[in-house]
Formats: sequence, C-alpha cells, structure tokens
Amino acid sequence: MNRTASAFIVLLLAVIGIAATFFVQRINAPQIAAEQRLIESRKLLDLLPLDAYDNQPLEHPMALADTTLSHSTLTGGYRATERGQTVAILLRSQTQGYAGAIELLIAIDANGKLLGVKTLKQTETPGLGGHLGDWPNTWLQTFTGTSSKEPTDAGWALKKDQGQFDQVAGATITSRAVISAIHDALRYFDEHRAALLGSET
Amino acid sequence: MNRSAVLSNTLMLTLLLGTTDSLAGALGTLLMFATVVGLYGLCMPALRPRLTENSVLLASILLAATFSSCADLLAQRWFLPWQQTFGLYVGLIALQCVVLENNGFWRQSQAERFKLFGLFGGLMLGLAGLRELVGHGSLGRGLFEHWPGLVVFSEGLHLITLIPGAFILLALLLAARQAMIRPNSISKETHRP
Repeated sequence: MNRTASAFIVLLLAVIGIAATFFVQRINAPQIAAEQRLIESRKLLDLLPLDAYDNQPLEHPMALADTTLSHSTLTGGYRATERGQTVAILLRSQTQGYAGAIELLIAIDANGKLLGVKTLKQTETPGLGGHLGDWPNTWLQTFTGTSSKEPTDAGWALKKDQGQFDQVAGATITSRAVISAIHDALRYFDEHRAALLGSET
Repeated sequence: MNRSAVLSNTLMLTLLLGTTDSLAGALGTLLMFATVVGLYGLCMPALRPRLTENSVLLASILLAATFSSCADLLAQRWFLPWQQTFGLYVGLIALQCVVLENNGFWRQSQAERFKLFGLFGGLMLGLAGLRELVGHGSLGRGLFEHWPGLVVFSEGLHLITLIPGAFILLALLLAARQAMIRPNSISKETHRP
C-alpha cells in the first residue's frame, strides 16, 4: 500500500467534504432562514388560529403613539389581516410583576374583544406566579371574550379586590399586574381604534 | 468482543434513549441514521483497499462528518421542528459510523448487517411507541401536520418522557426479555452436600 497515495486520498476527501458541505449550506440557506422565520412567527402567533390571517404580522410592526399606559407600557404592535381586512391587533405589553418585568402579547379583534393573551417573558416565582409562562394557559384563557367595557371598570380586578376574576394561586401581585396590563391594552385599543385598524377597513 | 468495543457500543444508548420520546422523533432519527450510515456504507468499501490503516480512521471521520453535516442541513430545510429538538444527535450519528468502522460491523455479511440494523430500528420504534403511549397517552403525535395523533388517554406518566424514565423502561424491557428467554434455566438451589 502506498503511503503517499493514501495521504492524497484523505486530502482529496477532506477537500470534497468541505466543498460539499459548503455548497449544500449555500444552496439551502435562504430556505432554512425562511423556515426559521415561519416557526418563530408561529410560536409567537399561536394565540391566533393559523387560518385566521394571511399576512406576516411580525414583518410589519406598527408605530404606536402614547405607549405609556397607567399600569403598563406598550412595546410594539402588529396587525393581522385577512384579504386586506384587519382581523386582529396584537399588542406587546410590558408590566411590572412580583419578581421582574412581565411581557405579554395581547390579541384583540376588530370589535375590541380580547382574542387571547400569551406570556412572552416572565421571571415570576416558579410554581406560583411562574405558571403564567405555561402555554396553553387556562387562567389567561378566562379573559378571552372580554373587552374594556365588559366587565365594567370595577369588575376588572381580582375577586379579592371586589372584581370578577380569579387569581393565580399564591401570586396576587402577578395576577393584579396581568389584569391591569390586559385592561390597559383593551382601553388603549378603544382610544386608538381608528389608528390601529388602519386604512384597510 | 473486548472491553473497549463493548464500551463504544454503548454509545448507541445515547441515540436510543435521547431521541425516543415520541414516535415522530424516533422515525426522524432512524431516517437520518439510515441515510448517513447507508451512504457511508456505499462509499467506504471503495476507499478501504486504497488506504493505509491509519488513514482509514481519518477517512472514515471525514466521510461521516461530511454526510452527517449535509444531512443536518437538509433536515433544517425540510424537518426544522425535528432538527431543533434532535439536531444535537446528528453529530452522534457521525460518531456511530466511526464506531461501526472500528468494531468490525462492515466485515460482517450483508444479511447480518441488515439484521442488526433491523433489530436496532425495531427496538427504537418500539421504545418510542411505548414511551409516547405511557408518557403522553397518545401515539404518532406530530407525525403529520394538523393531526393530533391517536389519543388513547389524556394524561400520561410524565416521568417516562424524560431520559431517566427511558432508562427505567429499557431496563424493564430487558428484564422481560430475560424472563421470557430462560424461564427455567435457573435451577433451584439445593442444600444437599
């Protein structure tokens, strides 16, 4: 067996291997990036049914005015449309929980009714307020269908505070913060309805 | 089989236990494994006679790395959700090629090789099916889009979906096999002198 020939074959293999991997990567990179974007947006948008919208809401963030609300701050907004009709507005809201900032994604339909709430980021106590991060989340689902007027302002609170919502067990401060943030977002929608729904409607 | 061969064969356990928490995951891994090892098995026989003993190892590493990284890239394109969960194990498939090269797998006859692969595939799918059934209460979840799988019961035993649970289940399966193969071989001890 010839040592030089064998070394040459190994070298050739290395070159072919590197070249093949490089070209496969180059050819597939755009599709892989597109797949990754799709998965990311699905993860973020799974509070809306997949067939409810046909645009890419995350690629066109809205410019929001007066984003500082009474209990929370809006950090972004997206519009989900189907055939040009706005079906939902997604508001990214940040509020202060018990242990740190809580980031929520709040989906509101064109009539001002809440479609769903999803926790994007939270650092609440694991096992107590930390349940806020679970998905799907039965507690957050109890808000579906509410709007800024329904229940009334007094009703938008925990039962403990003479409101009408249950709280997450052992996490009063977290629950209060989330309720206020949702109510803020719904009120914001009512106040800025025309701007949020845009010219398409 | 010497001790180091036994040790290197146990590397297979990582693949077996790590990727079998659902039928879909195990099927993806098996497909990947079959593709990479199959391609490797096609190319290596042509190279082996032309290489010295030291360069065989180097060549097998290069070949396995090339095939598995290309397969990984293609998996990212077509099976991204699978790749995001189990992408870690693709490197181990490449390692498995090198292990097979060293423990004489390719010197066996073709029938024996297919039998071994079939056994491994069967064990993997069986374990995955059992784990999904016991752990999640469903079967075939995530195999197709918009299909929730065959739901048998709603709540499963969460432990089985974790790696320690997989170990326990594998041990139980092994024990059951032992019990079936030799039910009478352990003769009753007698105290007669």
